[in-house]
Amino acid sequence: MYILILFIVSFIAATGTFYLNEHLKQGPIRSSAVLSLIVATFFFLFPQLLSPYLTTNIPLVFIGSSFIGMVSTRLISNYFLIGAAGLIFCIVYLNTSSFFHGYGGALGTSAAISLLAVLSLPILKASGKFTNGFHLLRKMVFNRKLRK
Amino acid sequence: MNWKKTIRISFVLFLLTIQSLFLIAILLEHQQTAFIPIFIIFISIALTISYLKAPLHHEEHTYEHIFVALWIPIGALCSYYINNILQLGPVMAAGIVGTTASFLPSLNKRSHYLKQLPPAFYCGAFIGMSSTKVASSMLFVLAASIFTGMLMILSKSLFSGLGGKLGVLAFAGVTITSLIFFLIF
Repeated sequence: MYILILFIVSFIAATGTFYLNEHLKQGPIRSSAVLSLIVATFFFLFPQLLSPYLTTNIPLVFIGSSFIGMVSTRLISNYFLIGAAGLIFCIVYLNTSSFFHGYGGALGTSAAISLLAVLSLPILKASGKFTNGFHLLRKMVFNRKLRK
Repeated sequence: MNWKKTIRISFVLFLLTIQSLFLIAILLEHQQTAFIPIFIIFISIALTISYLKAPLHHEEHTYEHIFVALWIPIGALCSYYINNILQLGPVMAAGIVGTTASFLPSLNKRSHYLKQLPPAFYCGAFIGMSSTKVASSMLFVLAASIFTGMLMILSKSLFSGLGGKLGVLAFAGVTITSLIFFLIF
């Protein structure tokens, strides 16, 4: 349940920041910083509202995912893909090596990795490799079914 | 080979190495489950495709001005103070520094210089998000800020518009400083 909440938070943070950045024209820094500050202040003022796990992790997941929303429309403008990058970020965040705990910039690195991973999807789709791969997979599955 | 191109390729390879180290550390720590290694392999393939094909960099290589990068230590020290001395936490620290910095261009809307400052402050704020276990002193924060500043100067036309770029630069600065402090002290 806690993990699901963190996934929802990361999706909202990434898309919300992008909306504030590009549609409300607030710029990437203000969009990320203001939203993160609001979330962090809320949990600072009401630390007993949710469980200690969520009180600790929601602000961190939110600010990390908000870095994804700082992306320029030159690179990506699809809300679904930005939200997907947020979900990938959440998986990376939940499994980050304990060696890098407490390292400044680790959240930004996770965000950049997630965003770069998602940026490969339009490239694969445009080159046809993605659709060809699915086509071959489908062919393989159906051929097996026919043989049976 | 043109020296600007050499710097450009070296820098991109350096950041790819930093991100790869980050993913390898996850992989090494989660070998007992099947999902995480498969997930990391997929992410690594996607990352490589983006590095090779995505329009991440400007054609012409330019450098950030040193007077812009000079604000990174200020952002870092402010954030570190709010985070570790005032004990308000890393998110609150980055949020306060970033929000304040984002309003700096409003002081003089004609100033091109003021418009360039918020990213430098926010990048510095990420360094200040480090815990005291990693950044044990202000000296560490200053050293990490200097390395990050150097990386920021070199990377103006690289990874432009990519969310998380400032975080990667801060992470690289903190990692280099940690390694140096580990070797010296």
